[in-house]
Amino acid sequence: MIRKELWFGFILMAVILVAVAIMLPWSHLTNGHLGLLMLGLVVVAIMLGFPTAFTLMGMGMMFAFFAYMSRSDGHTDRALQQTLDLMVQATFGVMRNDVLISIPLFVFMGYLVERANLVSKLFKSLHLALARVPGSLAVATLVTCAIFATATGIVGAVVTLMGLLALPSMLRAGYDVRLSAGVITAGGCLGILIPPSVLLIVYGATAGVSVPKLYAGAFFPGLMLAGLYVTYVMLIAKWKPHLAPPLSASDRQVTLPPANAEIDAGRNSRVLPALISALKGKRNGNITTKVLLKELAITLAPLLVFVIIMGLTWNALTRPDEVQDVSGLQEMGTATSGTSMSDTVDAPTSGGLQEPPGSDVKEPSSGLQEPPGAETVAKAEAPPAPVARVAETPPPKPAASASFVRDPTPATFWYVLGAGLAFLAVFYAIFTFTRLEVFKMLLTSFFPLSVMILAVLGTILFGLATPTEAAAVGSLGGFVLASVYLLLTQPRESIKRAAKVWIPLWAVFLISVVWFILYKAEVLTSPPTQWVGLLSMIAFGIWAVIAMVQAKMVNTVRESTYLTAKTSAMVCWLFVGSSIFSAAFALLGGQNIVEEWVLSLGLTPVQFMLLAQFIIFVLGWPLEWTEIIVIFMPIFIPLLAKFGIDPLFFGLLVALNLQTAFLSPPVAMAAFYLKGVSPPHVTLNQIFAGMMPFMGIQVIAIILLYVFPQIGMWLPTLLYK
Amino acid sequence: MQKLLLGVDKFSTWFGQICSWCVVALTLLIGWEVFSRYVLNTPHGWVLDAQIMLYGVMFMMAGAYTLSKNGHVRGDVLYGFFRPRTQATLDLILYFIFFLPGVVALTYAGWTFFTDSIRINEQTFSAEPLPLYPFKFIIPLAGALLLIQGTVEVIRCIICIRNGEWPSRIEDVEEVDVEKLKEMVHVKDEDIAALDKYVVKAGGEK
Repeated sequence: MIRKELWFGFILMAVILVAVAIMLPWSHLTNGHLGLLMLGLVVVAIMLGFPTAFTLMGMGMMFAFFAYMSRSDGHTDRALQQTLDLMVQATFGVMRNDVLISIPLFVFMGYLVERANLVSKLFKSLHLALARVPGSLAVATLVTCAIFATATGIVGAVVTLMGLLALPSMLRAGYDVRLSAGVITAGGCLGILIPPSVLLIVYGATAGVSVPKLYAGAFFPGLMLAGLYVTYVMLIAKWKPHLAPPLSASDRQVTLPPANAEIDAGRNSRVLPALISALKGKRNGNITTKVLLKELAITLAPLLVFVIIMGLTWNALTRPDEVQDVSGLQEMGTATSGTSMSDTVDAPTSGGLQEPPGSDVKEPSSGLQEPPGAETVAKAEAPPAPVARVAETPPPKPAASASFVRDPTPATFWYVLGAGLAFLAVFYAIFTFTRLEVFKMLLTSFFPLSVMILAVLGTILFGLATPTEAAAVGSLGGFVLASVYLLLTQPRESIKRAAKVWIPLWAVFLISVVWFILYKAEVLTSPPTQWVGLLSMIAFGIWAVIAMVQAKMVNTVRESTYLTAKTSAMVCWLFVGSSIFSAAFALLGGQNIVEEWVLSLGLTPVQFMLLAQFIIFVLGWPLEWTEIIVIFMPIFIPLLAKFGIDPLFFGLLVALNLQTAFLSPPVAMAAFYLKGVSPPHVTLNQIFAGMMPFMGIQVIAIILLYVFPQIGMWLPTLLYK
Repeated sequence: MQKLLLGVDKFSTWFGQICSWCVVALTLLIGWEVFSRYVLNTPHGWVLDAQIMLYGVMFMMAGAYTLSKNGHVRGDVLYGFFRPRTQATLDLILYFIFFLPGVVALTYAGWTFFTDSIRINEQTFSAEPLPLYPFKFIIPLAGALLLIQGTVEVIRCIICIRNGEWPSRIEDVEEVDVEKLKEMVHVKDEDIAALDKYVVKAGGEK
């Protein structure tokens, strides 16, 4: 009496065992063949369902002991000692792995953002903003999923939440059950691919590829996948409107606040002229100027942001002198740091920070570690000093002080400015009061989250911060988001009371941040002074403590902390197990056998890629992505060099490929999460059927990426060459 | 018996949860260092080592905690469909084949690793060194906790084989707590049930 569900697994197991049995030359087994046997056995053992980390650890230990035994001429004690050493070294290697350290931080950020409870706002505002797009609800679901999944990276939570929010709206609007289910499950899995994702960190740690490069590479394929989903949904809505009918007028209705409704008076007029004329005195009696000014400020916000960004860019572009100085110093700094490692380590203490201004810049060790240009300026009391001092070595620059001549502005700047202004003109031309309301909703849900993600990602991609640093700052950002949103759920009185304390503290904190940004944008010539910086830090600290109490963050932080610990333990212990296992595999020489075998097949690189991707795809059924990466990537990666394939590109393909594993029945966990919160008559089969087209799109995406590698490789090449 | 099992669970959980606060410390430490390095231009040499240690302590010590919550990743293609008794039998066998030998070896090896380190008073390789042996002590400590928790899990398997169902565990925060999420977005079970009419109607159309 074996249940139907079990057959699939048993057949897969039998296939692996039979394949291993047939392929091994039983008459003359070498150690390498034992390695292969170990590989086959571990897949079967994992399928038995024992915690994988310990399966790998136990099996790795046995085979490592066996390998040491076979080469120690019967010295059991020596082999035993070597095995123990190997285990503890492998474990310690994971404990001080400086790539994996960003996993808990990103996970922590994800849990904090998840608990910020902004997903319903996000979905509502996006659905109103996209109301005119065909299949608008489905598109809004996809966009919400993409953003939320990117920020949190927790497939289960995203699918469950969207199942609770988007599924009812879609069903009520008459959407097809299968399409709705497919959109939610496919969208929920986007967080696996779009950086900052944990999968890419795990791949980077295993394959030795830098995480920023992987993030840069996965950015466009991730967007492409999301874009393909959206295109598909829009096409469906156009071709088969009965599957995704347009929204009814009542669903698109946006209620205006009374003041705005009065100004608008049902004419659907443009916001900007209407507000200005209302301010000039034609306004109706009971609207105060304060309200009008507030609305006007929100209306003008996009223009203001644009002006500030373009202004700072223009300033940085046309300010000639300091840019050159920095680059000159940087070369000197990197050249010396390359020659001796110990100097780099010592630099923070022995560096030029405490040196009095004006001491010799030519001594190389003073320019190490810190961004050299910044450091030189830090030491200076007066703005002209750094320029003058650096200018000692190169030919002197006479007029490079307070009154400098600006460089000619590059033409591209004017094009961007023109395009931006044209865009803003169109924006204000169609900016009605209804759109103002939608814009306000986006402002409180969509923009904070996207700005946070882009900031985290941007600092990593442009090399401004390491992934670890960006993740930690992202977690702090998540904490701020969660506090604000949790505070907003409280009664008006307490919000007002809290705001009185929060806003001044934030203002103090922002002083040095703004100062720093202006300094980096070369508007100010000195970085924030020490005491301003300390004050800002103290302000943030005090705010965090107050927020813990006022926004009732204690519980949120505690739960996120515990969840982070469990998730990180899961991933990192898997690494402990797999590093012992891989070491044993290498000891047995399994790698050589695999290599010989693959090379004997005489594959072209393309065929090899297809084979590798196919194997990974098949393994995606019985195994989780973590297991596939940590066990099988160490085997594939050395082969890549033989075929001249870039491990970075391979990683992008693997990441896309493993996405499909999340949507392929019968083990697609997204489907089960959705089933858990959908109405009783939605069957698992309907959900699976809904996922199928999206799986097809994923395959198309893999092919597209394969045929046009530039989709993935363009950005990393641009940024890191 | 159940009381003892839950007591050990509680012990592992307590230990793991205390160490999980390392992630908050880690966030604050790096946040502070980022600010101090980039904005104030005063980097600290020891922070890099300290952050690695916080991370290492957190995940190692959470190993037993995660085990006590059945949170380590399992191959789920078959396991979930087995009856509890089959699950327990398999687990029991594999605890003896894989888990206990592996973890015993790790604990023992970790202990010698630690005592070697303390003998030479090992420090991190940095201009502002931190002592390294407390960090190495984490390996045998985490191993010992795992062993205790593993023994409890073995007893759980035996109980399950006898009774045909898994003994209960203490509740803990779940990654996907459906009830909590429902509350968060204000959706009630009735609302979901009320949707059924749309599903049935759509089903009848085809």
